[in-house]
Amino acid sequence: MRFSDQLETRIATMLTHYPVKRSILVPTLLFVQDEVGYLSDEAIAEVAKRVELTELEVRNVISYYSMLSLKPKGKFNIQVCTNICCMIRGGESIFDHCKKKLGIGHKMTTPDGLFSLEEVECIGACSWAPAMQVNYDFHENLTAEKVDAILDDYKRKAQQ
Amino acid sequence: MPILKNIAAIAKGMSITLKEMFAPTVVENYPDGPGPLKGAKFQERFRGVHVLQRDENGLEKCVACFLCAAACPSNCIYIEAAENTAENRISGAERYAKVYNIDYNRCIFCGYCVEACPTDAITHGHGFELATFNASNLVYRKEQLLAPMPAHLGANAVFNKAEIDKGMPALTS
Amino acid sequence: MADAPKLVNLTVDGKAITAPAGTLLIDACKNAGIEIPSFCYYPGLSVQGACRMCLVKIEKMPKLQTSCTTVVGEGMVVTTENDEIHQARKSMLELVLANHPLDCPVCDAGGQCELQDMTFTYGAAESKFVDIKNHRDEQQWSPVVYFDRPRCILCYRCVRVCGEGMDVWALGIQQRGVSSVIAPNMEDHLECEECGMCIDICPVGALTSGAYRYKTRPWEMNHVATVCTHCGDGCVTTLGVRRSDTGMEIMRGDNRDKSGINGDFLCIKGRYAFDFSKEPERITVPLIRRNSKLEPATWEAAFELIASKLKEVRDRDGGQAIGVIGSNRTTNEENYLLQKFARLVLATNNIDHHRTADYPGFVSALAGTQNMTASMRDVASAPAILLIGNDPTEQHPLLAWQIRNNVRLNKARLYTVNSNQIKLRRQSTVFHLISAGSEGAFAQFLVGNDSAASSVGDPQALNSLRDKLRGEQGLVIAFGSEIRGEHIKPLVQFAQSVGAKLICLGDYANSRGAADMGLYPDLLPGYYPVSQLTGSKDEDWMGKAPKQPGLTLQEMFSAAAGGRLRALYVVGSNPVARYNLDPFALKNTFTVVQDMFLTETATLADVVLPAANAYEKGGTFTNTCGDLQRLQKAGDVTTVKSDFEIIVRIANAMGYDVHGLVPFAPGLRADMGQTRGAESGEADRHKVWLTRQGIEPKLSPFDPLALLDEIQRLVPGYEVSRLNLMAGNDQHTQVPDIGSGELPSHPELIVPSEDTLFTSGTLGRYSKTLNSVMENDRAVPEDAGIPAD
Repeated sequence: MRFSDQLETRIATMLTHYPVKRSILVPTLLFVQDEVGYLSDEAIAEVAKRVELTELEVRNVISYYSMLSLKPKGKFNIQVCTNICCMIRGGESIFDHCKKKLGIGHKMTTPDGLFSLEEVECIGACSWAPAMQVNYDFHENLTAEKVDAILDDYKRKAQQ
Repeated sequence: MPILKNIAAIAKGMSITLKEMFAPTVVENYPDGPGPLKGAKFQERFRGVHVLQRDENGLEKCVACFLCAAACPSNCIYIEAAENTAENRISGAERYAKVYNIDYNRCIFCGYCVEACPTDAITHGHGFELATFNASNLVYRKEQLLAPMPAHLGANAVFNKAEIDKGMPALTS
Repeated sequence: MADAPKLVNLTVDGKAITAPAGTLLIDACKNAGIEIPSFCYYPGLSVQGACRMCLVKIEKMPKLQTSCTTVVGEGMVVTTENDEIHQARKSMLELVLANHPLDCPVCDAGGQCELQDMTFTYGAAESKFVDIKNHRDEQQWSPVVYFDRPRCILCYRCVRVCGEGMDVWALGIQQRGVSSVIAPNMEDHLECEECGMCIDICPVGALTSGAYRYKTRPWEMNHVATVCTHCGDGCVTTLGVRRSDTGMEIMRGDNRDKSGINGDFLCIKGRYAFDFSKEPERITVPLIRRNSKLEPATWEAAFELIASKLKEVRDRDGGQAIGVIGSNRTTNEENYLLQKFARLVLATNNIDHHRTADYPGFVSALAGTQNMTASMRDVASAPAILLIGNDPTEQHPLLAWQIRNNVRLNKARLYTVNSNQIKLRRQSTVFHLISAGSEGAFAQFLVGNDSAASSVGDPQALNSLRDKLRGEQGLVIAFGSEIRGEHIKPLVQFAQSVGAKLICLGDYANSRGAADMGLYPDLLPGYYPVSQLTGSKDEDWMGKAPKQPGLTLQEMFSAAAGGRLRALYVVGSNPVARYNLDPFALKNTFTVVQDMFLTETATLADVVLPAANAYEKGGTFTNTCGDLQRLQKAGDVTTVKSDFEIIVRIANAMGYDVHGLVPFAPGLRADMGQTRGAESGEADRHKVWLTRQGIEPKLSPFDPLALLDEIQRLVPGYEVSRLNLMAGNDQHTQVPDIGSGELPSHPELIVPSEDTLFTSGTLGRYSKTLNSVMENDRAVPEDAGIPAD
């Protein structure tokens, strides 16, 4: 399996940073996930070969980190924080609202493949709680209305 | 008056005799008494021939953990264990006793095996008629020790089940 | 030699102790006799720090510290047991037990479970956690590995021993935190070397063995330490045996007590492949051919028939018409007895066995230099190892384990020269791939024959490898049967020039012993050539042996085909399958085979005698390095006899005085070496030797130890400490000093067994476990021949 040229150069540069190949495992997995959408069996085999680990070891790492996924996710991955600060400021009701609006539960994807929903621990946005992260973008000081607007916005974006 | 004294003494003695005549009998009428025990009576705690119990589903309680054999001071328990399979399920756990022998030539009825049993599988019954002309008959196999199937799971289960469905209590033998 | 590490002083429980800098606290305490409990810590594996049972109080440190991750420091003051620590450990146990099923009565580990022991010690049986336990069904990962997830306490020992110890990396940890779970490499099953180390090392019953599970309990068995009967490495395997209808049944094999050279290591064969002994196909009564069919008979009838036939052939056609083939799996005593029987009773030198390594060539190349052979223990501590040929991972699992651990723990340098990409290349400092068959040329190159390099490989790389090897101190050189005959000498010369020690790798459990005990047509025990025996040995029985060298195995079969060999006696060997010999060659030869199964050879025999295997008798084995170890009788099948007894009984039936074969019970009127005095030269030499060694004479003609006495007296190199040997310790034997003469070595007759991890000659074919693993794991290559020995 071959990755995009950009990713290939990235991997090549990372390899020069560390004395052993396995050190680049986590960032590589993250970049591969961004490119492929999820960590497919094929991608895992390829990464394992490149960092000279067994597939099992790569899978161990993937299953450890919640941000690495073995299943395809929706185009927009909504991660709602329900850790302490967000919880106090109503994060859980935001999460419930998302569930109701999208009609899916934790770690599920809408049938149209547009949205995935996930309840996550602290995303480091405590001072603007409650907060959520959609792919790599943050949305803060949420209310139910704000969430509706954000989700509609994404839906529109997808239709364009 | 020594005569009166003597008559009084006889009367006193005879009164005890007369009183005991109407008291219930103490002697057990074994073996001519009624019932399966033929008139023998036991305290609940009497330690007789062992019984290997079954659970409410009719499966053997014994899981062949060998603790009774380990606890036995006269080394009279012999077990061979085997694994339960879906087709051949004998006990409730993963393992059952394929062979379970107690050698009553050696058993001293101390009850340590019953104490040791983690699943309450082995208990002392009230069986005591062990005498035999051949010592090899005293090695009891699992089939001889096992409690009978609960009536609603036994050979005449259909008959009994109908009765149970009608609200009759399950028979226990 | 590097400087010895600095010593550090510390106080543990008020006791002043010292330990080398860098020692882990838990180790330092253990060495001082203070035991700290732990689950995840295991000597020789990397540090995990997962179970938190080894918490101790260290002064000036704020909280309790894990002693398995703390390195000793100067002036440390440590408390290993007080109320706080006790409470902490108890709480850890409660957490571990929170989802532990507590099915101890059913669990295989019950009775030898570390968690059970710890719970008893800390009294954590009552738990605060009353939630319903989370059940998961048991999984079968391979024919021999079962996994019960709720029992797992996540100590990661299995993961580490599989990866670090075995270099297989078949187990991993998936998920994290409370959902962590041990996972096999193929999603729902394992593809690995099936060594069973993970099961062995599991402190609880989470990983259980398919061969042993739910069969019995640890306290119900007797545990007998004996030597594995498969490859030539000589692992000690402690067999758990139980009374059964037919004798003693072997239930399991392991080596938890780390007795023996292998520590707790065993490969699949040592751990599971004892099951051939209870195979239904095993023959348990003697068989005699009547009307061209093998029919059951009594032992008496069999002995009578064999004795009369052998006597008839010997007296009519002479000893040269009888052939004897020995085994690589019988004990030293049996091999010694067999060749003595052949030479004295049958009056023939026609004795041979399946040769898997050139031991005579090795002995004559060493030319009597002592202390030039390495023991299996040396491999685990040598600073550098050179491995030429062979694939130890497949053929010598213990050797591979020793090498791997030496590289990992002691930073030893491994130089590998092989014509295949063998697995040990992963541990090698230098791996040099050479063209097939050029191992010998490499040996020539090592001693300075630069022209030999051209046929081996890249001369520049070879030069740098040779320079590195020349600079190594305390090198151990292990070489496979690729190097034989003329090529051993240059290798020995090279070893002499750098002060290296050597290991000549042979294939079966007692291949080395068979060679040392003289199962050769031209060599007596101790490699004395039959034709030129001189000196004191001549006065012993060896002087009565025929002086004319006999026939080799192949020559025997061609002699049989030509009608010149009238009788053949095969002990525990399967030459017909191994050498693919013509079965019809034996049609006019009276053939006696003693074996466990009706092998290709046994089906041709006129008499088949059921023999006991190595797990069912006492004696000694010499492993491929020359380490002598004691066998103890573990299993028992009542109707079979040991090869030793069979040979003695045949000799007896032939009317031979058994005292002449086995020096036992001198009797009341025997000359004790005193009446006429040793000076007169007529003393019973054996008696004198026994007295000098302080050894009692043996009372039974079937006692192999009686022959061990004679072996120790007559075979040079076997004069090891009897006390140590009997205590179960391995004793390294030296090769005999044969001077500078050449021994007849016949390198062309060497046929390596080419066994893999899952095959073991003829024997392996009758092991259910090995077969099931092979069916499960590896497609057997189509061109693979039938394994046989």
